[in-house]
Amino acid sequence: MRPGSGISEGRAEYKAGKLIKVRARFEDDTIRDIKITGDFFLYPEEKIEDIERILRDRRLDEVEDVLAKVFSDVEYEGISPEALAKVIREAWKRRS
Amino acid sequence: MELRVIYDTKHSAFWNMAFDESLLVHLKDIGPTLRLYGWKPPAVSIGYFQSMEEVDVDKAREMGVDLVRRITGGGAVYHKYEVTYSIVLPSIGGRILDSYRVIDMGIIKALTSLGLDAQHHGINDVVVNGKKISGNAQTRKYGGLLQHGTLLMDVDVDEMFQILRVSEEKLRDKIVDSVKHRVTSLRHEGVEIEFGELQKVLADGFREALNARMYEEEIPREVYDYAKTLEVEKYATREWNFRR
Repeated sequence: MRPGSGISEGRAEYKAGKLIKVRARFEDDTIRDIKITGDFFLYPEEKIEDIERILRDRRLDEVEDVLAKVFSDVEYEGISPEALAKVIREAWKRRS
Repeated sequence: MELRVIYDTKHSAFWNMAFDESLLVHLKDIGPTLRLYGWKPPAVSIGYFQSMEEVDVDKAREMGVDLVRRITGGGAVYHKYEVTYSIVLPSIGGRILDSYRVIDMGIIKALTSLGLDAQHHGINDVVVNGKKISGNAQTRKYGGLLQHGTLLMDVDVDEMFQILRVSEEKLRDKIVDSVKHRVTSLRHEGVEIEFGELQKVLADGFREALNARMYEEEIPREVYDYAKTLEVEKYATREWNFRR
Protein backbone atom coordinates (compact mmCIF):
# COMPACT_ATOMS: atom_id res chain seq x y z
CA MET A 1 0.00 0.00 0.00
CA ARG A 2 1.31 3.41 -1.02
CA PRO A 3 1.67 5.95 1.83
CA GLY A 4 -0.88 8.71 1.52
CA SER A 5 -3.26 6.48 -0.48
CA GLY A 6 -5.79 7.10 2.28
CA ILE A 7 -6.32 3.39 2.98
CA SER A 8 -5.91 2.34 6.60
CA GLU A 9 -6.75 -0.73 8.63
CA GLY A 10 -8.50 -0.74 11.97
CA ARG A 11 -9.42 -3.43 14.46
CA ALA A 12 -11.71 -3.32 17.46
CA GLU A 13 -13.66 -5.67 19.66
CA TYR A 14 -16.58 -5.33 22.01
CA LYS A 15 -18.42 -7.62 24.36
CA ALA A 16 -22.18 -7.39 24.00
CA GLY A 17 -22.96 -10.58 25.91
CA LYS A 18 -20.73 -12.30 23.35
CA LEU A 19 -17.58 -11.00 21.71
CA ILE A 20 -17.80 -9.06 18.43
CA LYS A 21 -14.54 -8.44 16.56
CA VAL A 22 -14.17 -6.19 13.55
CA ARG A 23 -11.25 -5.87 11.21
CA ALA A 24 -11.76 -3.32 8.45
CA ARG A 25 -9.99 -1.32 5.76
CA PHE A 26 -11.09 2.29 5.42
CA GLU A 27 -10.52 4.91 2.78
CA ASP A 28 -11.17 8.17 4.62
CA ASP A 29 -14.59 7.53 6.19
CA THR A 30 -15.62 4.78 3.75
CA ILE A 31 -15.43 1.06 4.50
CA ARG A 32 -13.58 -0.75 1.70
CA ASP A 33 -13.39 -4.18 3.29
CA ILE A 34 -14.65 -5.69 6.55
CA LYS A 35 -14.50 -8.97 8.46
CA ILE A 36 -16.83 -9.53 11.41
CA THR A 37 -15.96 -12.43 13.71
CA GLY A 38 -16.82 -13.56 17.22
CA ASP A 39 -18.72 -16.04 19.35
CA PHE A 40 -22.19 -14.53 18.82
CA PHE A 41 -25.20 -16.18 17.19
CA LEU A 42 -26.93 -15.04 14.02
CA TYR A 43 -29.64 -16.93 12.12
CA PRO A 44 -29.36 -17.77 9.34
CA GLU A 45 -25.58 -17.89 9.79
CA GLU A 46 -24.77 -17.25 6.13
CA LYS A 47 -26.27 -13.77 6.53
CA ILE A 48 -22.92 -12.62 7.94
CA GLU A 49 -21.41 -12.75 4.47
CA ASP A 50 -24.28 -10.56 3.16
CA ILE A 51 -23.74 -8.10 5.99
CA GLU A 52 -20.04 -7.83 5.19
CA ARG A 53 -20.81 -7.34 1.51
CA ILE A 54 -23.50 -4.71 2.14
CA LEU A 55 -21.12 -2.73 4.38
CA ARG A 56 -18.50 -2.47 1.67
CA ASP A 57 -18.19 1.01 0.12
CA ARG A 58 -20.49 2.53 2.74
CA ARG A 59 -19.59 5.71 4.59
CA LEU A 60 -19.46 5.53 8.37
CA ASP A 61 -22.52 7.76 8.72
CA GLU A 62 -24.56 5.22 6.69
CA VAL A 63 -23.63 2.23 8.86
CA GLU A 64 -26.40 2.53 11.48
CA ASP A 65 -29.16 2.70 8.84
CA VAL A 66 -27.71 -0.10 6.73
CA LEU A 67 -27.36 -2.39 9.74
CA ALA A 68 -30.85 -1.60 11.09
CA LYS A 69 -32.25 -2.71 7.75
CA VAL A 70 -30.15 -5.84 7.29
CA PHE A 71 -30.73 -7.03 10.88
CA SER A 72 -34.50 -6.65 10.55
CA ASP A 73 -34.96 -10.14 9.10
CA VAL A 74 -32.40 -12.09 11.12
CA GLU A 75 -32.51 -13.47 14.63
CA TYR A 76 -29.46 -12.74 16.75
CA GLU A 77 -27.99 -13.17 20.23
CA GLY A 78 -24.83 -11.60 21.61
CA ILE A 79 -24.68 -9.14 18.72
CA SER A 80 -26.98 -6.29 17.66
CA PRO A 81 -26.97 -3.66 14.92
CA GLU A 82 -26.17 -0.99 17.54
CA ALA A 83 -23.28 -2.97 19.05
CA LEU A 84 -21.84 -3.82 15.65
CA ALA A 85 -22.05 -0.16 14.51
CA LYS A 86 -20.19 0.81 17.68
CA VAL A 87 -17.35 -1.66 16.99
CA ILE A 88 -17.06 -0.45 13.40
CA ARG A 89 -16.72 3.16 14.60
CA GLU A 90 -14.14 2.04 17.17
CA ALA A 91 -12.15 0.22 14.47
CA TRP A 92 -12.24 3.44 12.39
CA LYS A 93 -10.94 5.48 15.34
CA ARG A 94 -8.12 2.99 15.85
CA ARG A 95 -7.14 2.78 12.19
CA SER A 96 -3.51 3.20 11.28
CA MET B 1 -42.36 -37.75 20.83
CA GLU B 2 -40.40 -40.70 19.48
CA LEU B 3 -36.67 -40.04 19.81
CA ARG B 4 -34.07 -42.22 18.13
CA VAL B 5 -30.88 -42.52 20.17
CA ILE B 6 -27.41 -43.28 18.85
CA TYR B 7 -24.84 -44.35 21.43
CA ASP B 8 -21.84 -43.47 19.34
CA THR B 9 -18.13 -43.86 20.07
CA LYS B 10 -15.25 -41.37 19.80
CA HIS B 11 -14.50 -40.02 16.33
CA SER B 12 -12.45 -37.37 14.54
CA ALA B 13 -13.64 -33.77 14.60
CA PHE B 14 -14.31 -33.85 10.86
CA TRP B 15 -16.50 -36.94 11.08
CA ASN B 16 -18.32 -35.66 14.17
CA MET B 17 -19.36 -32.40 12.51
CA ALA B 18 -20.15 -34.13 9.21
CA PHE B 19 -22.35 -36.74 10.89
CA ASP B 20 -24.24 -34.07 12.88
CA GLU B 21 -24.96 -32.12 9.71
CA SER B 22 -26.01 -35.27 7.85
CA LEU B 23 -28.46 -36.14 10.65
CA LEU B 24 -30.02 -32.68 10.27
CA VAL B 25 -30.21 -32.97 6.49
CA HIS B 26 -31.91 -36.39 6.81
CA LEU B 27 -34.24 -35.41 9.66
CA LYS B 28 -37.36 -36.16 7.57
CA ASP B 29 -36.14 -39.72 6.88
CA ILE B 30 -34.80 -40.62 10.31
CA GLY B 31 -37.05 -38.57 12.62
CA PRO B 32 -35.98 -36.78 15.81
CA THR B 33 -32.58 -38.16 16.78
CA LEU B 34 -30.20 -37.83 19.70
CA ARG B 35 -26.57 -38.77 19.19
CA LEU B 36 -24.08 -39.13 22.06
CA TYR B 37 -20.41 -39.20 21.14
CA GLY B 38 -16.83 -38.28 21.91
CA TRP B 39 -13.69 -37.01 20.18
CA LYS B 40 -10.58 -38.94 19.18
CA PRO B 41 -8.11 -37.35 18.72
CA PRO B 42 -8.98 -34.40 20.94
CA ALA B 43 -10.08 -31.36 18.99
CA VAL B 44 -10.91 -27.69 19.08
CA SER B 45 -14.14 -26.67 17.40
CA ILE B 46 -14.69 -23.01 16.64
CA GLY B 47 -18.01 -21.27 16.09
CA TYR B 48 -19.27 -20.47 12.59
CA PHE B 49 -18.40 -16.77 12.95
CA GLN B 50 -15.03 -17.14 14.62
CA SER B 51 -11.64 -16.71 13.06
CA MET B 52 -9.12 -19.56 13.23
CA GLU B 53 -6.89 -16.85 14.74
CA GLU B 54 -8.54 -17.87 18.03
CA VAL B 55 -6.35 -20.96 17.92
CA ASP B 56 -2.60 -21.52 18.00
CA VAL B 57 -2.62 -23.73 14.91
CA ASP B 58 1.02 -24.85 15.19
CA LYS B 59 0.62 -25.78 18.83
CA ALA B 60 -2.55 -27.75 18.06
CA ARG B 61 -0.72 -29.70 15.37
CA GLU B 62 2.18 -30.37 17.73
CA MET B 63 -0.25 -31.66 20.38
CA GLY B 64 -2.15 -33.80 17.85
CA VAL B 65 -5.33 -31.79 18.26
CA ASP B 66 -7.70 -31.49 15.26
CA LEU B 67 -9.27 -28.15 14.37
CA VAL B 68 -12.73 -27.80 12.90
CA ARG B 69 -15.29 -25.07 12.22
CA ARG B 70 -18.87 -25.81 13.27
CA ILE B 71 -22.03 -24.87 11.37
CA THR B 72 -23.29 -23.42 14.65
CA GLY B 73 -22.31 -20.10 16.22
CA GLY B 74 -20.79 -19.67 19.65
CA GLY B 75 -17.24 -19.95 20.91
CA ALA B 76 -14.17 -22.16 20.67
CA VAL B 77 -14.35 -25.43 22.59
CA TYR B 78 -11.56 -27.84 23.52
CA HIS B 79 -13.07 -31.33 23.25
CA LYS B 80 -11.29 -34.02 25.21
CA TYR B 81 -12.79 -35.15 28.50
CA GLU B 82 -16.48 -34.96 27.70
CA VAL B 83 -19.58 -36.51 26.28
CA THR B 84 -20.97 -34.49 23.40
CA TYR B 85 -24.58 -34.68 22.29
CA SER B 86 -26.31 -33.60 19.15
CA ILE B 87 -30.03 -33.54 18.71
CA VAL B 88 -32.04 -32.96 15.55
CA LEU B 89 -35.71 -32.06 15.81
CA PRO B 90 -38.33 -30.48 13.58
CA SER B 91 -38.15 -26.70 14.20
CA ILE B 92 -40.06 -26.00 17.38
CA GLY B 93 -40.96 -22.41 16.47
CA GLY B 94 -40.56 -19.45 18.77
CA ARG B 95 -37.38 -17.64 19.52
CA ILE B 96 -34.14 -19.57 19.39
CA LEU B 97 -33.26 -18.41 22.90
CA ASP B 98 -36.38 -20.18 24.18
CA SER B 99 -35.62 -23.42 22.37
CA TYR B 100 -32.16 -23.49 23.97
CA ARG B 101 -33.90 -23.56 27.32
CA VAL B 102 -36.10 -26.49 26.28
CA ILE B 103 -33.19 -28.61 25.03
CA ASP B 104 -30.78 -27.57 27.80
CA MET B 105 -33.33 -29.12 30.19
CA GLY B 106 -32.06 -32.51 29.00
CA ILE B 107 -28.62 -31.71 30.40
CA ILE B 108 -30.04 -30.16 33.55
CA LYS B 109 -32.14 -33.31 34.19
CA ALA B 110 -29.05 -35.49 33.63
CA LEU B 111 -26.97 -33.40 36.06
CA THR B 112 -29.78 -33.40 38.61
CA SER B 113 -29.90 -37.21 38.49
CA LEU B 114 -26.17 -37.17 39.30
CA GLY B 115 -26.99 -35.17 42.43
CA LEU B 116 -25.88 -31.77 41.13
CA ASP B 117 -27.75 -28.48 41.20
CA ALA B 118 -27.69 -27.33 37.57
CA GLN B 119 -29.19 -24.29 35.91
CA HIS B 120 -29.46 -22.69 32.50
CA HIS B 121 -27.28 -19.59 32.32
CA GLY B 122 -27.04 -16.76 29.79
CA ILE B 123 -27.75 -17.65 26.19
CA ASN B 124 -26.37 -21.14 25.86
CA ASP B 125 -24.64 -22.40 29.00
CA VAL B 126 -25.51 -24.77 31.81
CA VAL B 127 -23.87 -24.07 35.16
CA VAL B 128 -23.33 -26.03 38.36
CA ASN B 129 -22.63 -23.99 41.50
CA GLY B 130 -22.39 -20.95 39.22
CA LYS B 131 -19.66 -22.49 37.05
CA LYS B 132 -20.03 -23.53 33.41
CA ILE B 133 -20.14 -27.30 32.87
CA SER B 134 -21.88 -27.38 29.49
CA GLY B 135 -21.86 -25.16 26.40
CA ASN B 136 -24.45 -25.50 23.65
CA ALA B 137 -25.00 -24.20 20.15
CA GLN B 138 -27.95 -24.40 17.82
CA THR B 139 -28.79 -23.83 14.19
CA ARG B 140 -31.96 -24.11 12.15
CA LYS B 141 -31.65 -25.32 8.60
CA TYR B 142 -33.15 -27.75 6.09
CA GLY B 143 -36.51 -27.46 7.88
CA GLY B 144 -35.08 -28.66 11.17
CA LEU B 145 -33.11 -27.74 14.23
CA LEU B 146 -29.70 -29.02 15.28
CA GLN B 147 -28.34 -28.38 18.72
CA HIS B 148 -25.06 -29.81 19.86
CA GLY B 149 -23.24 -29.33 23.11
CA THR B 150 -20.83 -30.72 25.62
CA LEU B 151 -20.94 -32.05 29.13
CA LEU B 152 -17.49 -31.85 30.71
CA MET B 153 -16.33 -34.98 32.57
CA ASP B 154 -13.03 -33.30 33.42
CA VAL B 155 -11.31 -30.10 32.40
CA ASP B 156 -7.70 -28.98 32.26
CA VAL B 157 -7.80 -25.22 31.69
CA ASP B 158 -3.99 -24.93 31.38
CA GLU B 159 -3.96 -27.59 28.65
CA MET B 160 -6.86 -25.86 26.90
CA PHE B 161 -5.03 -22.52 26.88
CA GLN B 162 -1.95 -24.05 25.34
CA ILE B 163 -4.07 -24.13 22.18
CA LEU B 164 -6.56 -21.28 22.58
CA ARG B 165 -5.18 -17.80 22.09
CA VAL B 166 -6.09 -14.99 24.46
CA SER B 167 -7.00 -11.48 23.33
CA GLU B 168 -4.18 -9.82 25.24
CA GLU B 169 -1.07 -11.92 25.75
CA LYS B 170 0.19 -9.82 28.64
CA LEU B 171 -3.03 -10.61 30.52
CA ARG B 172 -2.75 -14.36 29.81
CA ASP B 173 -2.26 -15.50 33.43
CA LYS B 174 -5.16 -13.37 34.59
CA ILE B 175 -7.47 -14.62 31.82
CA VAL B 176 -6.58 -18.28 32.39
CA ASP B 177 -7.10 -17.80 36.12
CA SER B 178 -10.51 -16.24 35.61
CA VAL B 179 -11.58 -19.12 33.33
CA LYS B 180 -10.48 -21.59 36.03
CA HIS B 181 -12.91 -19.88 38.37
CA ARG B 182 -15.75 -19.93 35.86
CA VAL B 183 -15.51 -23.50 34.50
CA THR B 184 -16.08 -26.82 36.22
CA SER B 185 -16.54 -30.49 35.33
CA LEU B 186 -18.19 -33.58 36.77
CA ARG B 187 -14.87 -34.65 38.30
CA HIS B 188 -14.41 -31.22 39.90
CA GLU B 189 -17.91 -31.53 41.33
CA GLY B 190 -17.06 -34.94 42.80
CA VAL B 191 -18.78 -37.12 40.18
CA GLU B 192 -16.63 -39.92 38.74
CA ILE B 193 -18.43 -41.55 35.82
CA GLU B 194 -17.43 -43.57 32.76
CA PHE B 195 -18.07 -42.30 29.22
CA GLY B 196 -20.63 -45.03 28.44
CA GLU B 197 -22.43 -44.54 31.72
CA LEU B 198 -22.67 -40.78 31.16
CA GLN B 199 -24.12 -41.36 27.68
CA LYS B 200 -26.97 -43.31 29.31
CA VAL B 201 -27.51 -40.65 31.98
CA LEU B 202 -27.69 -37.96 29.29
CA ALA B 203 -30.09 -40.00 27.15
CA ASP B 204 -32.35 -40.38 30.21
CA GLY B 205 -32.15 -36.63 30.84
CA PHE B 206 -33.30 -35.83 27.31
CA ARG B 207 -36.00 -38.52 27.45
CA GLU B 208 -37.41 -36.91 30.56
CA ALA B 209 -36.99 -33.29 29.42
CA LEU B 210 -38.63 -33.89 26.04
CA ASN B 211 -41.15 -36.39 27.35
CA ALA B 212 -39.93 -38.75 24.64
CA ARG B 213 -40.04 -42.47 24.02
CA MET B 214 -36.49 -43.57 23.15
CA TYR B 215 -35.62 -46.25 20.66
CA GLU B 216 -32.46 -47.53 18.97
CA GLU B 217 -32.58 -48.40 15.29
CA GLU B 218 -29.95 -48.65 12.62
CA ILE B 219 -29.27 -45.43 10.71
CA PRO B 220 -29.86 -45.72 6.94
CA ARG B 221 -26.78 -46.12 4.77
CA GLU B 222 -27.32 -42.82 2.94
CA VAL B 223 -26.93 -40.85 6.17
CA TYR B 224 -23.40 -42.27 6.57
CA ASP B 225 -22.64 -41.84 2.88
CA TYR B 226 -23.61 -38.17 2.94
CA ALA B 227 -21.64 -37.66 6.17
CA LYS B 228 -18.61 -39.20 4.45
CA THR B 229 -18.98 -36.71 1.59
CA LEU B 230 -19.32 -33.79 4.02
CA GLU B 231 -16.32 -35.02 6.00
CA VAL B 232 -14.07 -35.08 2.95
CA GLU B 233 -15.44 -32.15 0.96
CA LYS B 234 -16.26 -29.74 3.79
CA TYR B 235 -15.12 -30.35 7.35
CA ALA B 236 -11.64 -31.68 6.61
CA THR B 237 -10.88 -28.85 4.18
CA ARG B 238 -8.80 -25.77 4.81
CA GLU B 239 -11.30 -23.81 2.75
CA TRP B 240 -14.06 -24.40 5.32
CA ASN B 241 -12.03 -24.37 8.52
CA PHE B 242 -10.04 -21.25 7.73
CA ARG B 243 -12.72 -19.36 5.83
CA ARG B 244 -13.09 -16.56 8.38
